[in-house]
Amino acid sequence: MLQGGRRASPGLSLCVHHVSALTLGPRTGFCDGVLTVSRDATAALLADPALADVSLTCASPGDNIRIVKVLDAVEPRTKGPGGGGVFPGLLGPATHQGRGETHVLRGAAVLAAGYLPRAQEAVVQMTGVAARVSPLSALHNLVIEFSPEPGADWPAVEAAVRLGMLRVAVHLADAALACEPDQLEPLEAVAGGRGSELPRVAVITNLQTQGAFKDVLVYGRSLAGSLPTLVEPGELADGAVVSAQYGHPGLKNPTYVHQNHPVLAALRASEELELAGVVLSPEPVTEDQKRMVSEHAARLCRGIGADAAIVTKEGGGNADADVALKMDALEELGITAIGLFAEMAGSDGTGPSLVVPPAHATAMVSTGNYDEPVVLERVHTALGGSRLDIAGAGAADELELPTAAIYGSLNPLGWGHLTCAERA
Amino acid sequence: MTRVVHYVNQFFAGIGGEEAAGQAPDVREGASGPGLALGALLPNELQIVATIFCGDDHAAETPEAAERLVALARSAGAELVVAGPAFTSGRYGLACARVAAAAARAGIPALAAMHPDNPGVADAGAAAVVRSGETARQMRPSLELLAAAIAKLAGGGELSTEDGRVGRPPRRNRFDERSAAERAVAMVLARLAGDREVTEVPVPSFEWVTPAPPLEDPAHARIALLTEGALVPAGNPDRLASARATHWFRYAIDGIDALESGRYESVHGGFSTVAANEDPNRLLPLDAARELEREGAIGALHRDYLTTVGNGTQVAMARSFGEDWAGELRDAGVQAAILTAT
Repeated sequence: MLQGGRRASPGLSLCVHHVSALTLGPRTGFCDGVLTVSRDATAALLADPALADVSLTCASPGDNIRIVKVLDAVEPRTKGPGGGGVFPGLLGPATHQGRGETHVLRGAAVLAAGYLPRAQEAVVQMTGVAARVSPLSALHNLVIEFSPEPGADWPAVEAAVRLGMLRVAVHLADAALACEPDQLEPLEAVAGGRGSELPRVAVITNLQTQGAFKDVLVYGRSLAGSLPTLVEPGELADGAVVSAQYGHPGLKNPTYVHQNHPVLAALRASEELELAGVVLSPEPVTEDQKRMVSEHAARLCRGIGADAAIVTKEGGGNADADVALKMDALEELGITAIGLFAEMAGSDGTGPSLVVPPAHATAMVSTGNYDEPVVLERVHTALGGSRLDIAGAGAADELELPTAAIYGSLNPLGWGHLTCAERA
Repeated sequence: MTRVVHYVNQFFAGIGGEEAAGQAPDVREGASGPGLALGALLPNELQIVATIFCGDDHAAETPEAAERLVALARSAGAELVVAGPAFTSGRYGLACARVAAAAARAGIPALAAMHPDNPGVADAGAAAVVRSGETARQMRPSLELLAAAIAKLAGGGELSTEDGRVGRPPRRNRFDERSAAERAVAMVLARLAGDREVTEVPVPSFEWVTPAPPLEDPAHARIALLTEGALVPAGNPDRLASARATHWFRYAIDGIDALESGRYESVHGGFSTVAANEDPNRLLPLDAARELEREGAIGALHRDYLTTVGNGTQVAMARSFGEDWAGELRDAGVQAAILTAT
């Protein structure tokens, strides 16, 4: 493993099992692509004094189902017994992960849906035109609905749901440990120095850090107040970053996309570029702090020899500034900056697209217009609640919603295929 | 046959000049004024079946005038609405743009014609604006361009700059074969290869607001407190949304010295409201303003505070709230306002 005269640290190997069907059954198991989930075993993993009741439903692509009040989605993964733990700092000690083997149930997600304060209502429709708008609609989702214990504190309810989802995700993936993986995916560790003659690209991932229910956890703690830091792709794949952020449905980064970082995947697929490193940055709430962490992140990129950097965000409005300031800071240091933005051009597409555009940098990818309406056909079954308050309608009704309300529609990590362009 | 309804102002409707600028929205059968020449330029299958009209002052000062005019057009069976040409006339241009925008919102294909410098260009929403000359002396070529644009729009075509379209065309969502992450990687390669232009988002140009001059005599001024911080009475009685506002509300502060914690709350969905809820005066500085009022540093506080939520709120919506607020405060004799933002 000698690269450019340096010894690369070992990376992570993903043992990928493809899920083609999801069903409930007496015992949790995985066989020939069929993932069977035991209600009792799963409910036991979700048991918590803050939760009165949980229920499970399968929602697969094409099902006549709409899920409302979606909170998070997690890909089932495990490192098996003795393999260290996925979701470090939450399910186990906050020890360094991202090495050895991790089993992945690709095509499946554990999804929680229900009311939490400060959460903005997020919708996933499994059928029809709107299904194309959310990447979640293409997955076999195990949907967890819950009722809080009367009188329970909301932060305790949130923690119970979040930890329960992670435990269920591990439990499901454990069922595949005995199976031969469909494919092996190596996630190489980042070469410490220039590993080749290829241009080096850094990935800056901004995490929302706005307090309770609007936060993202790194090794189990918020990045709020921290300086930007470097992590390995394998750490992300092993769940070092977990979402506890329930605002901005279209502009949210579910735990699933941190596990499957779309920009890292696209860079791995390129034979013309080399990954220089992954920088995680908080999104502070004041301008001077935004400026400070942006300049710091740009200096980290210079330190790892990046020729270019791709900057992503989470959230709307002021989070544009976190991308714009980093792009300008990078360009200032001579590093080519590309930023991913969702547009807020109004329902008719004529408003100004960005809240805070960069002052100098101009290379921007559009993940779609937040305000453009999407029609959702009436569905047979609604999960996650009986009402959709943003629409003032029943959860299964025919609706017109802004794209922003569709979960993952404008994903700032570049998960989706939506973009926006002038029509004429 | 496609039924076209034409909007003109009081002058082109033959009602009168400035003295008739207060004319309320109305409709008459068939083409009038420039509509006669426009109708003659249209293909046979397009016919101007009615003319809707309104005074320029009335249209500019009555927010619901455009909706009312579109309702009249609908009652005349409009399948396409055309407004103008308004040339460089500001109030008329604004009215034409608003009528076309309201028709487009109602699902009726619509377009307006005016000079590219007319401020109305920015107000046409999803409707297209095609250029006209500066004054009515260029009526003929302006109508020729407009007639061709109407025919193209009626045939389901999209108007482009070649059709004389002005203003920024609307941006629309579409699916790309590649994910946004894959496009970002492709953009890195293009930029590193020397393409300094490639981007998917043109850098927007913002309107700049010139600050008003300072008050000459604050000690005798009536001051209003406003916020986009979603401060509402506890329990949110009018159900102000936490994001993407479509409403604003007014709440009385007459006789209240300070905002008591527990009696007011912020329902803003874009920031942590803990500190604001502990002391709502830090979101809307009523306690400090009352102190200034007692000291005589300011004349008096306006009886109400106005509130909405500035979180993902559309610019056009925010602009209309601003117009509502300015009108309400002006009518109440307010000379200055403090608008707190979060």
